[in-house]
Amino acid sequence: MSRRRWPEVTAGTAALRAVAERGGLAIALVFYVLVVAVLAALWRAAVDSNGGEVAGYTVVAITWYAAMAEAVTVSLNQRMIREIGDDIGSGAVAVELLRPAPVLGVRVAGALGRTLPRLAACCAAGAVLGLVTAGVPERPAALALAVPSAVLAVACNIVAQHAFAGVAFWWRDAGSAWFLYQKLVFIVGGMLIPLEALPGWLEATARLLPFRAMAYAPARLAAGHVEPVLLLEQVAWLALLALAAGAVFRAGERRLQVVGG
Amino acid sequence: MAIEVRHLTKVFETGRRRAVRRVEAVSDLSLTVYPGERLAYIGPNGAGKSTSIKILTGILHPTSGEARVLGLVPWLERRRLAARIGTLFGQRSLLWFELTPRQSYRMLAAIYGLDRAQEHARVADLADLLEAGDLFDLPVRNLSLGQRMRCELAACMLHEPDILFLDEPTIGLDLLAKQRFRELLVRLNAERRTTIFLTSHDVADIEHVAQRAVVINHGAVIYDSEVAAMRRTLLSTKLVEVGLSEPAPLPSTAGVTVLEHTETAVKLSVDTAVRSIRSVLDELLDGLPVSDISVLDPPLEQVIAAIYARPRA
Repeated sequence: MSRRRWPEVTAGTAALRAVAERGGLAIALVFYVLVVAVLAALWRAAVDSNGGEVAGYTVVAITWYAAMAEAVTVSLNQRMIREIGDDIGSGAVAVELLRPAPVLGVRVAGALGRTLPRLAACCAAGAVLGLVTAGVPERPAALALAVPSAVLAVACNIVAQHAFAGVAFWWRDAGSAWFLYQKLVFIVGGMLIPLEALPGWLEATARLLPFRAMAYAPARLAAGHVEPVLLLEQVAWLALLALAAGAVFRAGERRLQVVGG
Repeated sequence: MAIEVRHLTKVFETGRRRAVRRVEAVSDLSLTVYPGERLAYIGPNGAGKSTSIKILTGILHPTSGEARVLGLVPWLERRRLAARIGTLFGQRSLLWFELTPRQSYRMLAAIYGLDRAQEHARVADLADLLEAGDLFDLPVRNLSLGQRMRCELAACMLHEPDILFLDEPTIGLDLLAKQRFRELLVRLNAERRTTIFLTSHDVADIEHVAQRAVVINHGAVIYDSEVAAMRRTLLSTKLVEVGLSEPAPLPSTAGVTVLEHTETAVKLSVDTAVRSIRSVLDELLDGLPVSDISVLDPPLEQVIAAIYARPRA
């Protein structure tokens, strides 16, 4: 037996799957370009009518913000949270207990591997779109921080989706919980609107929640803000979310072993 | 001992508070399986087969009783046990459809802690054993079900398990693919001494793969015997279905029971302890205007009914 190599092999195999699904990758990319183009145009109109700035974001900054916020969202499997819940509800997860590796770990590694090729493609398309429609960000060095931040953002999102979907171990009809999760990422995660543009009380609330690690952090960095503390916050949230997901899956697996799938 | 089970019981509770209903899925089950045995574990739907397999593989806790699989208590040492058993559960694939089997094996090998050299050696070995090397580099979605099942078998054998749990592995396969799969299981057992624990609804799986059959119903063992003995007593019946091109009277045949006789079809039950199938077929082909003929095994439900009908010792 050798050193543990399932995390990188699982992620690598899943990445191969994502690349093999060329049709899905192409559709995600087309959808991404369309959404970013529309959002950038809307923000440009808003910024222009507001004297050249909205909540401290110029046209260039908000275009790069929208490009990155969408990239970290579109690159994820949009049905993932439902699929995890369905696998738990149908008992398919029980079969995964028959492997000598943690169910959650294998699933997260697989989801991460599947997401990263899409993320790379969306980020590349977003960069071209940003350069063509808005120009170079005000502080290009911030982009160097945005890249690892984007990877951390999708990792946080994937782990959090597993923690949320884990309610299916106890509650079969968990569809409303998943619906709520996605809306939280959209609004208080900063995917649609930068947190600074939210009403004061909502911004204060959003800053206390983990969702901002999933979109706002890399988007703000891509917008040209050199704020390395955002990366540290993402690492902290990733650790907390991993602990929460681990606890949910351990308790859920115990329940599955007692009451059956 | 490969598997040792003593007085195993599993009770499920459904409903809430005052309306709780208790369902005993496994009831005082005791069973011993020896290393290298090929065991058929059979029973009708709802008999408790799947529940007991889930307990033996560690994914379900029993309500009471004891079990050891390869010396391990499955529900307490699940991951250690998982490294030593292989499982193939009906339609749940171990392979990824977008990938080739070889790519899936790479991931499974990593999960089972094999290094690259071990992975390559075992995949090559299984390609020879299962005569499936030409399939390993095709996308799984392009394989026929029979081809895929050979690749699935390789997937669950990759880590060289001591016991193979197979739950309805031949379901959906055509006749030739079924026969080939059964031969592979027997060969695997002969060459590797892998214990085979097989559940199936197909009586032919039991006859051609297993040395011993254990029948359970209502969660308890109702029959435990060598398949050779079972063949003499419970599996001695074959069904013959004959299509007729024109109405015709039946030749009188000893050891044959007529189940149905219409203008276009005849259905017979043949007791092979009394008459050989060959002699019955010869007689039917000579004496009737046959347009179609097939020989079938009796359904499992009929075998189980025969078990209940036996005189008790």
